[in-house]
Amino acid sequence: MNQENLSKINSYLSFKLGDEEFAAHVGKVLNILEMTKITEVPKAPVYMKGVINLRGTVLPVIDTRIKFGMTPTVYTTNTCIIVLDIDVDGESIYVGALVDAVQAVLEIDKNHILPPPSIGSKYKSEFIEGVANIDDKFIMILNMDAVFSTDEITNLRDKTEETEQTTDIEEIGS
Amino acid sequence: MDNFKKKFIEEATDLLEGLEKSLLALEENPEDLSLIQQVFRVMHTLKGNSGMFGFEMIDSFTHEMETVYDLIRNGKLKATREILDVTLAAVDHLKLLLNEDNYNDPEVIGNHKELLSKVALLVKGDSASEQNAHADLNVEVNKSVEEKGEKTYYIFFEPINEIFDNGTNPLYLLDELHDLGKVEVFAHLNKVPSLNVLNPEFCYTYWEVIIATSASLNDISDVFIFVEDDSTIEIQEIADYNLLTDEIFIDDLKKLASTQNDIGLSSVQNLTKEANSRKVKDKIKSFNKDRSTSKETSISSIRVSADKLDILMNLVSELVTTQARLSLFAEENNIPGLLPIAENVQKLSRQLRDTAFSIVLIPIENMLTRFQRLVRDLSNELGKEVVFVTEGAETELDKTIIESLADPLMHILRNSLDHGIEDSDVRVKKGKPKQGRISLKAYYSGANVMIQISDDGAGIDPVMITEKAIAKGIISPDRKLTKREVLELVFLPGFSTARQVTDLSGRGVGMDVVKRKISDIRGEVEIESEFGHGTTITIKLPLTLSIIDGLLVKVEDTHFIIPLLVVDKIYAIDHEKIKKTFNNVVVLDGKQIPFFYIREEFDLNESQEKFEQVIVVNFEEKRVGLIVDHVIGEYQAVLKPLGKHYKNQDMISGATILGDGTVALVVDTNKIIKLFSKHEVFKIKEEEKPEK
Repeated sequence: MNQENLSKINSYLSFKLGDEEFAAHVGKVLNILEMTKITEVPKAPVYMKGVINLRGTVLPVIDTRIKFGMTPTVYTTNTCIIVLDIDVDGESIYVGALVDAVQAVLEIDKNHILPPPSIGSKYKSEFIEGVANIDDKFIMILNMDAVFSTDEITNLRDKTEETEQTTDIEEIGS
Repeated sequence: MDNFKKKFIEEATDLLEGLEKSLLALEENPEDLSLIQQVFRVMHTLKGNSGMFGFEMIDSFTHEMETVYDLIRNGKLKATREILDVTLAAVDHLKLLLNEDNYNDPEVIGNHKELLSKVALLVKGDSASEQNAHADLNVEVNKSVEEKGEKTYYIFFEPINEIFDNGTNPLYLLDELHDLGKVEVFAHLNKVPSLNVLNPEFCYTYWEVIIATSASLNDISDVFIFVEDDSTIEIQEIADYNLLTDEIFIDDLKKLASTQNDIGLSSVQNLTKEANSRKVKDKIKSFNKDRSTSKETSISSIRVSADKLDILMNLVSELVTTQARLSLFAEENNIPGLLPIAENVQKLSRQLRDTAFSIVLIPIENMLTRFQRLVRDLSNELGKEVVFVTEGAETELDKTIIESLADPLMHILRNSLDHGIEDSDVRVKKGKPKQGRISLKAYYSGANVMIQISDDGAGIDPVMITEKAIAKGIISPDRKLTKREVLELVFLPGFSTARQVTDLSGRGVGMDVVKRKISDIRGEVEIESEFGHGTTITIKLPLTLSIIDGLLVKVEDTHFIIPLLVVDKIYAIDHEKIKKTFNNVVVLDGKQIPFFYIREEFDLNESQEKFEQVIVVNFEEKRVGLIVDHVIGEYQAVLKPLGKHYKNQDMISGATILGDGTVALVVDTNKIIKLFSKHEVFKIKEEEKPEK
């Protein structure tokens, strides 16, 4: 299926990190794996959990919680690895994203996705594609390419930046 | 069609490479007939193929070159240096012509013309130098080959009866035509009247002439310039090639001339058409002949696209991985009969692996020609006398390695030529032979291939290097470096030792790029230099990039693989002993061996086991111990990249999948030891980075 067809689909996979719910476009998701043994790579950044075997290829696994500036993932029976197809500088790379739980595949109509609040959000808008209101819950739809192609801990919660723009953003969105 | 073109270009590139090689060999033995034959054959094949695929410029160009080598082949010309120079330049030019985009490049076109005229000069220079006695033969040779631009004309010439009154002899005009090219003359006497009315001062004869010449229509009519006003002259082009080589055509003409009063333009044209169709048939025939002979010679090898080889290699890798799973399964489940099968599969997959690898291995000879050429051209340009000696050209390497090796090697050679080898008078003063010497030696060393480039030139001045490093702020003035460390400095980014930036090397993108490119293919570079006596650069390369034999070890619950070829010995060691050692040195077999406790280096907790294992590996010339929890055994590791996210973890060269599906990490021991030991020089590098 080519990119054009994919973008017409309105399905999103929602998952949980702690109590917060996020979603990724299904076009980015290749696979959902149960938690398996992750081989740690020494001297790697903390959020790089290690590598696993994905049908014969080596897949790097990222602890999404650390990546987003939360506490490290505690493995439970619900812990899953979402295999994502990330576009880094025009090159497609597979990564595994460790999440606390996978929720559901949601059909969200394009019209129901609100643009990311430019101010008043507690999240960096460049990583958020939009916000959807499902059953009175707000789900952040993430731009997976942007989130997983950066090297640093993205710190989705934008508290570290204490510049002029952040002063009036403080926690209004919650 | 594009597909065919691509094939043609591929083939032509190969041919040209072969040609270059033969030419360089020919330079050594200018008398070697078989080499001349080879050159001629390549030109001929190129000509034929390029014509077929519409590369007209190549077609016409190779045609000219073919003429030259035909002359040489027949002993009419000597393969002089001058000719070889032109031919080599021509090879370069032909390479450019293979890319159709270059056709509109004015530089290429200019070059094309210049070369053509040079080639023409070579042919002409030959005929001028030939003695008259040989002239006839020579003409014969020239005629046997179709000259470019040779056309066939039909001339009808009927002078007025009173032509003799002007003092003109029409026969002289015909002689003049003879000078222009090959001529077939038919004189017609049917207008000669009976004797009683014949005026002896009149010319009654008229002529029909078929002339094959490279002269233009104007040149031909110039012959008749003094008689054209009062004669009937008709000149018509009938073919754009030499029709007179066609004997059937001439015979038919003669037959016609004897039966009819005159032949007439129309019947000549008819005959031309027949001749044309014959020519095409001949061409096809000779083409088929070429084809069938070339088939016979190349039957021992076939061309396979690189993509297919890549697929094959991937499949072999998968097979090896699957086989590991089977072996594990067989061991765990004691099913009668399964174990022998698993062992057999293991044996077969190993053989298959080795065979598949040998397919993608190509001898480094393939790139040596390029270097030979480089040394030849550069030494000419620099006015230095240099011999380039190669040894071990049959040494084989993975084709991907060879591809990425060409540039760095080229750079090293350039350095040697430019900065290494001194001018010949300097050399004589130093008591060295006048002729410089650069040698490239390739040989196997375990599972590695070593490529050594040495020159007997000036060598590297350690004092100058140190001064320079200090001046550039790379090292502090009070730092004492060993000789080896000093030489290592040249590999640092931004360190170019050339005092003057020349065209060839020394632009500051020097050895650091070489080093980086080589480490990209998991190779290593080392430099040795004796000031005043020469420099040797050694490149150590893995035989292949995808599967290695390794030692599977375990640290905590992570599996690591250490390449077997660096492993020297394995010892068991008491944990208490390690804890008590001072300065990280253990005594093994009566020798002091520095070691690294992997757990500590990887920020893991101390082991609870009583015994651990020391793997002694070779690091540069030293032996270094790496302490792991325990050794599991030998393992064939299919290397898989860790991916972009781990690009900074270069001490892990890749990962491999074990029989139980878990992932093991392949350790690059050299990098790991360098990282752990924090060498002086390597510290510098780390400090360097942020400044950039």
